[in-house]
Amino acid sequence: MRARAMIPGFVLAAAVTCAASAPLAAQEENALGRDVYDRWCASCHGYEGLGDGYAATWMLPRPRDFTQALYQIRTTASGQLPTDDDIMRVINEGMPGTTMPGWEEELSLEERLALVDYLKSFSRFFAAGEAPEPLTFSSPTRATEEALADGREVYELIECNRCHGIDGRGDGTSSPTLVDDSGMPTYSADLTENWYFNGGGTVEDIYQRLRTGLDGTPMPSFTDLIDAGVITDEQLWNLAHYVRSFAPEDPPGITEVIRAGLVEDAPLPEGVDDPLWESAEAFYIPMGGQIIESPRWFVPQVAGLWVRALHDGGELAVHVSWSDHSESPDTAWAGFQAQVLAAVGPDEGDMEPGPRPDGLYLQFPMEIPEGMDKPYFLLGDPLEPVYLWHWESTADGAQEADARGLGTMAPQGDASQSLVSEAAFSAGRWAVMFRRVLENEDPGDLQFRIGEPVPVGFAAWDGDNGETGTRGSISSWHYIFLQEPTPATVVVAPLIATLLTAGLGVLVVARAQRREREGAEGADEGDA
Amino acid sequence: MNTKPWKHPLGQAAIVVVLAYVLFEWGIWLLPPLFGVASAPVPATVVLQYMGTVVVGVLIWVSDSEERWKQFKAPIHRVMVDPRQKVLRTALMVTIPLLVAFMTFDRVRPTVSAPAALRSVHPAPPGQIDFRGETMVLNGLENPLRHEGDLEEHYEEGKRIYVQNCMPCHGDALDGQGHFASAFNPAPLSFQDPGTIVQLTESFVFWRIAKGGPGLPREATPWDSAMPAWEDLLTAEEIWQVTIYLYEQTGWEPRTWEEEGAEGEEH
Repeated sequence: MRARAMIPGFVLAAAVTCAASAPLAAQEENALGRDVYDRWCASCHGYEGLGDGYAATWMLPRPRDFTQALYQIRTTASGQLPTDDDIMRVINEGMPGTTMPGWEEELSLEERLALVDYLKSFSRFFAAGEAPEPLTFSSPTRATEEALADGREVYELIECNRCHGIDGRGDGTSSPTLVDDSGMPTYSADLTENWYFNGGGTVEDIYQRLRTGLDGTPMPSFTDLIDAGVITDEQLWNLAHYVRSFAPEDPPGITEVIRAGLVEDAPLPEGVDDPLWESAEAFYIPMGGQIIESPRWFVPQVAGLWVRALHDGGELAVHVSWSDHSESPDTAWAGFQAQVLAAVGPDEGDMEPGPRPDGLYLQFPMEIPEGMDKPYFLLGDPLEPVYLWHWESTADGAQEADARGLGTMAPQGDASQSLVSEAAFSAGRWAVMFRRVLENEDPGDLQFRIGEPVPVGFAAWDGDNGETGTRGSISSWHYIFLQEPTPATVVVAPLIATLLTAGLGVLVVARAQRREREGAEGADEGDA
Repeated sequence: MNTKPWKHPLGQAAIVVVLAYVLFEWGIWLLPPLFGVASAPVPATVVLQYMGTVVVGVLIWVSDSEERWKQFKAPIHRVMVDPRQKVLRTALMVTIPLLVAFMTFDRVRPTVSAPAALRSVHPAPPGQIDFRGETMVLNGLENPLRHEGDLEEHYEEGKRIYVQNCMPCHGDALDGQGHFASAFNPAPLSFQDPGTIVQLTESFVFWRIAKGGPGLPREATPWDSAMPAWEDLLTAEEIWQVTIYLYEQTGWEPRTWEEEGAEGEEH
């Protein structure tokens, strides 16, 4: 709201007095901009720029309504219009973490320039008044230990944690109350996933968003705190460094194979907080909405899972963690869930708000496949069932289950249950550990073997986001590979190769030197 | 020793070998895209093969003339015997075996990769399919909407169907870069790619949309594909409309049955 109040008076006055036909005239002159917009943008943003295209109700956040002239990613002060470069940046790079892609490689520069003008022509605000002035940004400071420590203090001082949570995972106490200016429920950003930041994930991007705010969202500008002397500009940089430090150095790559390390000299982890997990390699599994079978789900909240795995030759332990705004079902989020369910399409069956647990499954084939044949990745089918490790936040421990297609998951009988599990929710993060012996006597279970890739798939549900049943996020097949003990050849082969090469070298040189001593002429014949 | 390295046969040989390696490893991969031609990295085994050819060629050239061969050998010989070259000699005799050790280690160390899945991207379509209880003969089948109703309206309806259903995976720009694309392997197809819909008749595209991943033949690894069987969610008319949208939006022309037939006769 603050953002709107700051639109300068002269802009509003000019807009009111300006003829309403001005934008229309500008649109008619810009045929290229209109062609590009109608062809590529209108399906989401609508032909009239109202953010009401065909797919708008399939999306949260909704596509931008250009007639409002409210732009999140700007270099101008809060409440100001964006510069042309600001609009161009979003066209080029898109809005990570939303459905808006970047168009730099798809559209020519001429087309994108025309598009910038066309987008502006939807609103009278651009036609009136002078070109907006970008803020002057100071140069980045260095991310020293002191800077990060100070940044942490600022984070708490200006109450970033109220929405973003103490560990930056978007689980703050105000989080369930957040709505954007169009009245849609909106999540506070998970700061541990900077590759999904709407305006980019570098420390410079973060600093600029702190200065400008994200107009139209609850994220305010903090420039006024600097002006009022509450914090210094340097402290805002410190805060930007601290926010950046929540996320890994580089965005995670996609790994097809999860390596389960061999633990030889320590017991396998007993729980989710075992320090052994910190030394285990973490693999990122990106997740997408279940939009394959009806009822589908287009707005999943679990965007990715971090998976770690260890084995000791007898048992396999798998640790899965992910960001979640709440420990579902959490009554504080009941209203938010109702808003989400009311906002998103398509309408594919009854879906009333209600208390729903968070959930996770790991899916395996019934046995390690011989060839490339696997069960259907979405919970198998009647001919080829799948074997599952299924966990729910309201259940007492994880269960082994079977499925023969989506919607058919059923737990194995009590006598067949052999999983050990532990789950913990802390500061916006779920961690769930599963443990099972590699080979058992149960004919309904997969038997793991060391040194063979085992297909594994994932699904997750965020109950407070209204996710249940077929409405959740899924992955396709990956593999988990139980590492073998290091074979002796890894040491022996390089050693032999070194000795052979060195010996050959010594022989050749010694021979050459002997011949040199015996007389230079003989050497040529010898070589030939 | 006074001659410039590029005038000496050994220097020339070294330059040719290094240049050839740079060309094979990076040149073939990175140069053509600068001129708008698609390219790809050369596989390591092929690079090895090419380098073998280059080295043999260089050896033939240096040994071609007696004089050149002597010149070529002289520095090598000097390093082996000259007392003043003792430091270089010792350094080489240590580093070369170490390099070999490292290369051997790199070959034998255990690596983990997913089992190779041989996958047919354009499997042969069936002659006919069952669509919602009705038999549809695909052979020779054209998109009926090309001669029925208003093409502009079909395109517009196809656009709606596409963004509501296909866009999350195949992307706004039809480039296979939708916001859910990274969750799925094999990756969603890019319709902009010259290897996809431009190679296909519209009836093939209809079959793929209608039957999705579960309807693929075995050689196309149906268990991995996340493509839904759209016959459960879309009508035949809607599938033909979205097909029109795919071609109109990318600017590709569908393959016709005449082309298909002509190719068939050649084989």
